[in-house]
Amino acid sequence: MIYMIEDTINGILMGSIYGLTALGLTIIFGVLKVINFAHGSLLMVGMYAAYWAVALTGLHPYLTLVLVVPVMFVFGYYLQDIVIQPIFRAEKNVREPITVIIVTTGVWYILDNLTLLVFGPHYRTIQVNPLRGRMLEIGGLMISVPKLWGFVSAMVAAAAVYVFLQRTRMGRAIRATSLDRDAASLMGINPYKVYNVAFGIGTATAGIAAVTLVPFYNVFPTVGVLFDIKGFIIVVLGGLGSIGGAILGGIIIGLIESVGPQFMTATWTEAIVYGLFLLVLFVKPAGLFGVKYDW
Amino acid sequence: MKILDVREMTKTFGGLTAVDGLGIEIETGQILGLIGPNGAGKSTAFNCIAGVFPPTGGEIYFNGEKINGVKPWTLCRKGLERTFQIVKPFASKSVLYNVMVGAFAVTDKTAEAEAEALAVLKSLHFESRKDVRAGNLTIADRKRLEIARALATRPKILLLDEVMAGLRPAEVDEMVAIIKELRDRGITIFVIEHIMRAIMALSDRIVVIHFGRKIAEGTPDAVASDENVIKAYLGEEYVVS
Amino acid sequence: MKPEKINRIALVLLSAAALGLPLVVRSATYLHILVLLYFYAYLTTCWNLVGGFAGVLPLGHAAFVGIGAYTSTILSLQYGVSPWLGMIVGGLLAAGVGILIGLPTFKLRGAYFALATIAFSEGLRVMVENIDRLGPFTINGPRGLQIPPLDTGLTNFMFAGKEPYYYSILVMLAGVLFLTYRISRSKLGYALNAGGEEPEAAMALGIDVARTKLIAMALSSFLTALAGTFYAQFTLYIHPKSIISLDLSFEIAFIALIGGRGSIAGPVLGALLLRPVSDFSRIYFGDTLPGMHLIIFGVVLILVMNFQPRGLQEPLTRLYQKVVNRLFHWGALEAAR
Repeated sequence: MIYMIEDTINGILMGSIYGLTALGLTIIFGVLKVINFAHGSLLMVGMYAAYWAVALTGLHPYLTLVLVVPVMFVFGYYLQDIVIQPIFRAEKNVREPITVIIVTTGVWYILDNLTLLVFGPHYRTIQVNPLRGRMLEIGGLMISVPKLWGFVSAMVAAAAVYVFLQRTRMGRAIRATSLDRDAASLMGINPYKVYNVAFGIGTATAGIAAVTLVPFYNVFPTVGVLFDIKGFIIVVLGGLGSIGGAILGGIIIGLIESVGPQFMTATWTEAIVYGLFLLVLFVKPAGLFGVKYDW
Repeated sequence: MKILDVREMTKTFGGLTAVDGLGIEIETGQILGLIGPNGAGKSTAFNCIAGVFPPTGGEIYFNGEKINGVKPWTLCRKGLERTFQIVKPFASKSVLYNVMVGAFAVTDKTAEAEAEALAVLKSLHFESRKDVRAGNLTIADRKRLEIARALATRPKILLLDEVMAGLRPAEVDEMVAIIKELRDRGITIFVIEHIMRAIMALSDRIVVIHFGRKIAEGTPDAVASDENVIKAYLGEEYVVS
Repeated sequence: MKPEKINRIALVLLSAAALGLPLVVRSATYLHILVLLYFYAYLTTCWNLVGGFAGVLPLGHAAFVGIGAYTSTILSLQYGVSPWLGMIVGGLLAAGVGILIGLPTFKLRGAYFALATIAFSEGLRVMVENIDRLGPFTINGPRGLQIPPLDTGLTNFMFAGKEPYYYSILVMLAGVLFLTYRISRSKLGYALNAGGEEPEAAMALGIDVARTKLIAMALSSFLTALAGTFYAQFTLYIHPKSIISLDLSFEIAFIALIGGRGSIAGPVLGALLLRPVSDFSRIYFGDTLPGMHLIIFGVVLILVMNFQPRGLQEPLTRLYQKVVNRLFHWGALEAAR
């Protein structure tokens, strides 16, 4: 029984981190209407950034946030501005440009394999790690401290993005663009600028996720792929474009992965995740939490 | 004979009633105009009839057959065809290709579809542009392409959604002539239009709607002098009582 | 000479070159590379029926390759069924699966279909990796299936040299290209293109868009599965990681987009341009620069999408047309003299 509770808690914690990795994906889809296949690779870039920040400066892993998040924002902003935007312009009249989706997969392949070339295939873990293996014991329950912090940062990040979208001028411009790009541009909003900012924010959230992962997760060139596919599943479960849905979708996946192995081999839980995904897609494509976003 | 008979049609979106108990009858071979101020529910009524979404209430009969919620492609094969207010050409394809897509509604053979499409283009004096990419056409030609494509499906009734919006006066006159010619060929026309001059010249009868309800119906002259219509368009204060 | 005649001569010359190539290329390595080139061109042409004509983005075609390969291999290894027959069974199975994926997703926005195809393909891979036996069938999990090279010959779809494989895949490629050509000029082709470009207008013109997409999907998955059987018979070894891989699915999509999706020549052009890049960079940089060809793919893709969003097929066709016109005028001049 105690294991069951522990697995459940662990599942929720890890799941919220999955949700955090998918947060950017849902933001970018909501605004650009494009599934960013490079999102996992952006997460990977963030993880390398955090890894090197710790390795070179000896900073506490969480302090690298102040470095990684702005760097990732700028990286995402200009990635969209320089690489993706021209294709958007070329396909202006297409409602859902397939070419843009494919270009993001091109970015994925370039980032992953460049990293492989530069840093090699080794698995890396940070050496200066005050959080390594730290556990919190509550009444016999063992809870991983870095995962707990991951949970906290997922909640804070989701709330912050939500407040930003609701309260700020830029946030309103982003929401307006996501509802109707043409109408927004008639109101004096430059949609391409909004795309850049949205992509930047999405990438920055991947940076937050990266920093929370680095203390307990290996860093290697294809680490993003694992989170990429999971991210797609999460955002569809939660409803494409919904911020709360991303976190909840992540928690569902986390629970299946941590509680599932009690009943079956771990690899089968992966198959169940895909099955659930297809089921939701067929039965309730707007996502489990019923937000019908056709924006 | 009534080719289209809309009875008590209602369409609501959430709490908003866009069309409210609308009744419209069209005789075969007539041109019926549907007018009303912006947001009166004209396009919603059109979309209900054309099968884009089913009406919330009421009945629609086409040639005596109830067509509530029948899909657009089935309606097309039955002979009810529509054009779009915002034209939707297959932009990367040639004009001929566009019209052939329509012609395939009446034949399965490519050669026949091509012959049919060419005949339609010829009848609209449009064949000189057959190899032009639809995306490169002028707005007037795009509207003409909409009609050509629709015509190639050999409709019995044609629903024209603002085919004259954005045209220059000379082009409007040309379009009026084309539509009259279509009627002379035996196609019933149901037209939404904003350009009053055109709809007055064109229609046998006009239905006026406002806030989803019918407020007047009759010949162009009768409608033009109707007090309710003037109120709806110009506001209360312009009516001298 | 009339342009049509020039076209026909060009086609005949091209066919003759393709047929005669094994007489010149004696190296088994190069023949192997050529076979894979045709294999990819074939797969991309199948993909193009959905991804090009129907205007949606399938990203899990490796699943159909896997279904084809596993079906025919299991049937021939364990039941002695000829791979030719197994090929058809696998094709039908794949078509059924294709319809099942398309049925709910073709009514939704394109992103959902793309994601569903990925999820299905990845889910299938995970399943195959975890199943050793499924009812009466031995699947062998991650170890895959090995086909012992015992009875070579046409009936067993197994040959000692590479040449017969070369001609098999060449015939398959020619067949699927011809089919695509016929479809593109038929009612189905017009309906697919129209529905892909402007679904609402297509519906109003009498086209049941979702249904035509389903037909294309069924056809595409059927044909893709046939190539799966070919691949199994060619390599004599299949395992889930290599055959039901996301990389394969993406490479097909890359080839199609770079070559020019929605055109007949595009997939072949794309394969001609990209396959050598991947083969040669694997041969020359394989040890020192792993993943080099994927970086090149990515960069080429981004550049092509930037400057030729309709693929390289468009400028190349224009160039070819120019040459043909030159020849035509030159011929006319000669005749006048």
